[in-house]
Amino acid sequence: MSLFGTNTGFGSGGTGVFGSTTTDSHNPMKDVEVTSPPDDSISCLAFSPPTMPGNFLIGGSWANDVRCWEVQDNGQTVPKAQQMHTGPVLDVCWSDDGSKVFTASCDKTAKMWDLNSNQTIQIAQHEGPIRTIHWIKAPNYSCVMTGSWDKTLKFWDTRSPNPMMSLQMPERCYCADVVYPMAVVATAERGLIVYQLENQPSEFRRIESPLKHQHRCVAIFKDKQSKPTGFALGSIEGRVAIHYINPPNPAKDNFTFKCHRSNGTNTATPQDIYAVNAISFHPVHGTLATVGSDGRFSFWDKDARTKLKTSEQLDQPITACCFNNNGNIFAYASSYDWSKGHEYYNPQKKNYIFLRNAAEELKPRNKK
Amino acid sequence: MTVCNFFLQGRCRYGDKCWNEHPRGGRGGGGGGDYRGNQQPSRGGFGNRVWINPSQRTGGDYVQPSSFSRDGNNDWSRGGGGGGGGGGGGVASRDVKSSDFSFSSQNRFTALFTLMHSLRNQDTVQKDMEVWQTSGQWPFSCYSVLPGRLSGFVEVSPEELRLEYYSGRASGDLQAYMNSVQQLADQWRSRVQELRTMSSSTRISISELKNPGSQTSAHEFGSTASGFGTTSSTSSSSSTGFGPGGFSSGFSFAPSKPGFGASNTQQASGFGSAFAQPSSGFSAAPAAPAASAASFSFAAPAVENKASSVSTFSFKLCPGGSSAAADVQSSASGAFGGAADTGLFSAHSDLTAEELKEFTAKRFTLGQIPLKAPPADLLVV
Repeated sequence: MSLFGTNTGFGSGGTGVFGSTTTDSHNPMKDVEVTSPPDDSISCLAFSPPTMPGNFLIGGSWANDVRCWEVQDNGQTVPKAQQMHTGPVLDVCWSDDGSKVFTASCDKTAKMWDLNSNQTIQIAQHEGPIRTIHWIKAPNYSCVMTGSWDKTLKFWDTRSPNPMMSLQMPERCYCADVVYPMAVVATAERGLIVYQLENQPSEFRRIESPLKHQHRCVAIFKDKQSKPTGFALGSIEGRVAIHYINPPNPAKDNFTFKCHRSNGTNTATPQDIYAVNAISFHPVHGTLATVGSDGRFSFWDKDARTKLKTSEQLDQPITACCFNNNGNIFAYASSYDWSKGHEYYNPQKKNYIFLRNAAEELKPRNKK
Repeated sequence: MTVCNFFLQGRCRYGDKCWNEHPRGGRGGGGGGDYRGNQQPSRGGFGNRVWINPSQRTGGDYVQPSSFSRDGNNDWSRGGGGGGGGGGGGVASRDVKSSDFSFSSQNRFTALFTLMHSLRNQDTVQKDMEVWQTSGQWPFSCYSVLPGRLSGFVEVSPEELRLEYYSGRASGDLQAYMNSVQQLADQWRSRVQELRTMSSSTRISISELKNPGSQTSAHEFGSTASGFGTTSSTSSSSSTGFGPGGFSSGFSFAPSKPGFGASNTQQASGFGSAFAQPSSGFSAAPAAPAASAASFSFAAPAVENKASSVSTFSFKLCPGGSSAAADVQSSASGAFGGAADTGLFSAHSDLTAEELKEFTAKRFTLGQIPLKAPPADLLVV
């Protein structure tokens, strides 16, 4: 049975193979488990771009390693390669041609991993841990953008040890996203800056954050013409803000919604509120997925302003998620995100990466 | 476009929808002109803000739509829709020189809106704190109530904390990590509790939230104390925001504030209340937890606008004069009780006979309004 690309109920076929026992809640959604997951929390996931045949998944973890798996059409995952940093890896990204992977780590460096030769070289250096890394492909230049806790955003030509450009930010970079020609960076203290990348990166606008608490994740979405038009911003307070850059009617177009909270309708008992750890947009449908510290993932349609689906609760928080290039696979990682401090950290607990068929569940609601 | 005359006088009914031009930065004492009557524009450069008129309460309906939970808040930051936001936002964005009185926002409702917002802010903050405490969400986050942000919260992301832990573990010294986490947690807990119980000091800090931007203004403010108009050399926006706030802050800031002298009876009574409210906050500020204190004493960067809202608050409350003032005072005084009001009030011995007479009189006499703080016992409760 083909797991990806068709609508067969793969759950029926795959369950038995992947060890989901009846009482075990580590995989309540009965999704495909990736083999050889990292030994510590997974901080980031990235699928290969469409320029490369097949699906390759890269995952960075707090065990200082970056792993690469090939995801085959029948759902099997084959570990391919691994590289190490000297500190936990916080972010990974692919180059546009799919031949290189960039990894950013707490050891203040970023590396470029050539998959063909399985070699890495350092391409960036910061004064503090590098939190985000993105590849920018513009018509007249290409570079790697790194955002760090040293409050700078640097752009690197991978051939030179010095940055092409360095932009100062008001605070530490917490998350970022790039869809040419727009880049959004969310920083500490609720900072939110939009950059435009044409010709050369420059600050476009600083936005007053629509959220009241710490920013946690950001993802840019595109309009029907595939131009980036806004972003979704998640915070630690179980809330996501959808913000358009130049909406016709800001008061009506921009909105926030609550998610990843317990006790949905019961207002009597206090709600548990969980952080939104990552947001990903489906490349084809434009619907979004959010994953949170409560161990659930949810799919939403931002245009119809409805929730499409919420998963069952996993026994660990979900720390990262991503869609593959054609939107058929949704990958999410189940591992501890430190949302409750060190007391709840169990180094022995196994971390998982799950793959789910995303072709059907993320279709937008027909409305308006 | 023709320049709107009404806007210049601070009386434009259409606000942003007006077809005529509303020059920004061109508003002098015009704003105050209407309601202050004998008020010289130069005097209350910011005091002019006080032109809020209780009768404008009806403007309150105007504000309803931009409730906090929605992104009507965006209107605030844009300074378009909500008056308060318009006032705060519009004001803040302008580059006001010390002698430039253009702080007054484009419509008369701003002060009213800031007032209402400050009240709503307090509720919002309290509810949010309660939720934060019970929900188990990540504690080490900043927090803000639009349009400003509340100080006293340390922002640390889970990843940063985790990295600290890992470094500690690698170096073998986890105790330092534990201690710092414990400290952060305690700090957070106390700050949340304080905001939740909403003491007078925090109340002030929250009302001061209105004006993001211009930090230093606070300093100027306190120090110069001369015509409000002049203080704001660097403070620009903040001062403007301070307009009304400036007014009251002038007061509460205590004794010598010229603003005092500048007011007419109406305001004076308002003062009493304004005084009470902010002062309590004021005095409490130093005593209160560092965070609120910092934010409070005008010196607080993040906090600008509080003063403005406070002032408007007091004004709002004294439509008629002393009676309303009394009401406010009573609540304020109550709050006072708790506050460390050492520097807040003057002792009877500090005041001259005339000043004492003024304080004991039902209304202030124009031109003889004392510049020192009233004695606590003379406050009508």
